Amino acid sequence: MIAAPDHVLDYPLATDGDIAVINLVSAREQSWSRFWQDPQRPGIAEYIVEQEQLTAQYVGDMTALDRLETLVNHLERVSIGAMRTALIHARVAATAHRFAEARVHLTHAESRGAMPADVQRLKLSIDQACGTDLESVLEVRQRMAAESGRLEDLVPLGSLLADLGDFDEADRIYDRALREYNDVSPFAAAWVCFQRGVLWGELVPETQSSHAALWYRKAIEYLPYYVKARVHLSEIYLQSGNVGGTYSLLVPVISSGDPEVSWRLADVLLAMDNFADAGAQMQVAQLGFEELLSTHLLAFADHGAEFYSGSGKNARRAFELAGINLANRPTLRAFEQAYETALGAEETKAASELLVSARSRWGGTKAFGLSSLAQINGSSQK
Amino acid sequence: MSDHVDGPRSIGDPSIDLSDLFAFTSPENPGRTVLAANVFPSAGVSAIFSNVVNHSIVVRRMTVAGLGEAAKFKPGDQEYRFNCKFSPLERGADGSKPVQKGTCTFPGGQELTFVVNDEKGASTPDGVFRIFAGLRSDPFYLAWLVAVLKKFPNLLQHDNVLSIVVDFNTKRVLEPEKGPLFGVIAETFAIPQPRSLIGHEPPRFDWVGRPEQSNMRLNNPAMEHADDVRDLWNQMTPFALEEEFRPIFRKRLLESLTNWDMRDGKADWTPQALAAVTDVYLDDFLLFDVSKPTTDTSFFEIEKSTLHGKPYQTGGGRTVNANVIDIMLTWMVNNDREFLQGGATGATKPGVNTFPFLASPNTQIQTAVDSVELAASPDKVWALIGDFGAAWEPLIATINTAGTGIGQIRVIEMIDGKRIVERLEEIDNSSRSYRYAMLVGLQVTDYTGTLSVAPKGTGSLVQWQVQYWADGQPDIVIKTVVTTLLRTSLESLKARFGAS
Repeated sequence: MIAAPDHVLDYPLATDGDIAVINLVSAREQSWSRFWQDPQRPGIAEYIVEQEQLTAQYVGDMTALDRLETLVNHLERVSIGAMRTALIHARVAATAHRFAEARVHLTHAESRGAMPADVQRLKLSIDQACGTDLESVLEVRQRMAAESGRLEDLVPLGSLLADLGDFDEADRIYDRALREYNDVSPFAAAWVCFQRGVLWGELVPETQSSHAALWYRKAIEYLPYYVKARVHLSEIYLQSGNVGGTYSLLVPVISSGDPEVSWRLADVLLAMDNFADAGAQMQVAQLGFEELLSTHLLAFADHGAEFYSGSGKNARRAFELAGINLANRPTLRAFEQAYETALGAEETKAASELLVSARSRWGGTKAFGLSSLAQINGSSQK
Repeated sequence: MSDHVDGPRSIGDPSIDLSDLFAFTSPENPGRTVLAANVFPSAGVSAIFSNVVNHSIVVRRMTVAGLGEAAKFKPGDQEYRFNCKFSPLERGADGSKPVQKGTCTFPGGQELTFVVNDEKGASTPDGVFRIFAGLRSDPFYLAWLVAVLKKFPNLLQHDNVLSIVVDFNTKRVLEPEKGPLFGVIAETFAIPQPRSLIGHEPPRFDWVGRPEQSNMRLNNPAMEHADDVRDLWNQMTPFALEEEFRPIFRKRLLESLTNWDMRDGKADWTPQALAAVTDVYLDDFLLFDVSKPTTDTSFFEIEKSTLHGKPYQTGGGRTVNANVIDIMLTWMVNNDREFLQGGATGATKPGVNTFPFLASPNTQIQTAVDSVELAASPDKVWALIGDFGAAWEPLIATINTAGTGIGQIRVIEMIDGKRIVERLEEIDNSSRSYRYAMLVGLQVTDYTGTLSVAPKGTGSLVQWQVQYWADGQPDIVIKTVVTTLLRTSLESLKARFGAS
């Protein structure tokens, strides 16, 4: 494993993050206005999907998923063409992690003449998210990245390499994406920085928190309202005892409504011995998770499992949600989470079965060799 | 669209996407010239400029270097550059609304700082230059489905753009006595940073000369399988297209113009004439002559006359109200044999004769949408709510109707005493939906609502959508009233039919 560099150089310049978010919201609202005036306007529904995806990813506004559902429900009532409708349905379903449904719509779109490139791009994302046929996905991702050299092709390749345990190459790809980035949207630059934070802070076998923190901070510098980056950085700050820093990090994004913010804030308040406010925030977090799970179960099952196996303190709910996530996308990480939650819920038989399944599906891969599951043998299980 | 969203990379940050360029004699003062460039197609009402991008309008003196099939316009070396940069948002100390400031550097080096969206703009002390930057109604209109050349309502109706408008003393700045013909382009490129100075020019994101070079000629929507060369084109150097790339773009333009010529099934252009037009288009700048009048119909006359081997008669250029799309299409499709009028005869709002010449921004249509999933079948739910006169909403005290079918009126007394009058505009029992208009009630314009029931799983989905133009009251007040009405009403259905 390569060592993390001591500091980060050569950041691309980007439009101020506050301006970019204002412009995203502005453009998104205008797109909806155009859509409601004429839903059949060429390209408008597709553009809304892109804008809502950006909103969910970078602004932590999960109501974007509700708006996308409104979009597809409305498209059912107007005639924009079966192919377009199916492709948009597939994109929306994939955004909400309803991958099986997305594949069905994608097949419909393909049979109705969707452009092969559009179909392949989404199919790759779904396969990657589900851990399906990753060697083939890798081959295509590498070819696409070599041909285009564009950030939007490089980052998914880096992410896949990280999933496959090839961390050195993943880091090199992220580095290339950032160095060769020649646009000014801060979303893309912040995305790469966030991915590098995850790589150093969560994926490599020996995590390097300080280096991960540096990348998360850079992501936030690009995009001050990047909720996910703030949440991930807050975990590192809290682990290192930086209670004040964690609090300052989370307070500006409470208004996002993301329950992870309330959860982490509850942890901070607990560390500050502010038990009353911590309890209130934890309640908000739980209500928030349950609301999201009630409407977008598959999109938030893994997050819910993480919450309930941690401060949410409901091992059975965690196990249930982790199982739902695993059934939806049997990635190695999903197996790891399901196994951990099974142990937490004292479901030792289920844990053993999960281990067997994980070995059967992932046992021959490099990633499995680096996984915590690889260190477990049958007799050492609880 | 003119140059709207003209390449995949511009989608990342729409505020760097140049859409249109205008050059015309000031309607306020014939001794002044106006140049305007628009960015951020379909900008929302809160849109602002990127703070890391140079927005330049660049003018060069031109000479006619060839006539007829050898038509050619040759740019001079001297450049007149109007360059604008914008600040990050500046928050007022007293909590007032944040503002953005801009700084424009004019030919000769004068600098002027101004506030974005200040309609009065700002002027240099000597009065030579005046500038405005901010949100305006998009003056461009495109009323065709260009891939199939079918008339369509204006695709940019109610759209806004971010505009930069420069108005200046023509004689003092352009010295027309040295030659009155000019070419102008607009470009956006990154403000140089240390990293970029090592071996690289700052990347150019976009540039625009004549309208529709990118989206209709280089990327002809009817040529489905042609590679998208727009991002490559956007990185070319204006006024000096690199020789190595000329053959690529010449080939594409010729193929595209040939395709346009045959859109009506008739060949109106000879191969030689098409080749000559291709070479004119390859040198992409907007031509204007400050010694002759610019009018709403003078756009492209300089090029046409020169290609016809005649002296041009007008100032060419492009006014805010010029119908450039129909002028261009008529020329490309039938060589001016028969005017092709699209599905609209003007933009959402026409340009105005006073600074900053582009009309005030359009307000945004407001929409409230809500839905509920119910356990009951669509027919069962529709049997209740499909009756326009039924009082099923909990916030309604009484409801009285007059008439039947389309045109039926309902007079609603809300539980807070408010009176609302609505008219049924459309009803379709087979698809279980109706549309109505509010005649009296809220202080809004063109309020319409659509209520529909569709199958969803084993039950049904009720969707209620309302749209209106805010008119007077702060929109948050109206929005709260409308969203509360929708939510409360739809929630009440759960009790009747069970939640899905």
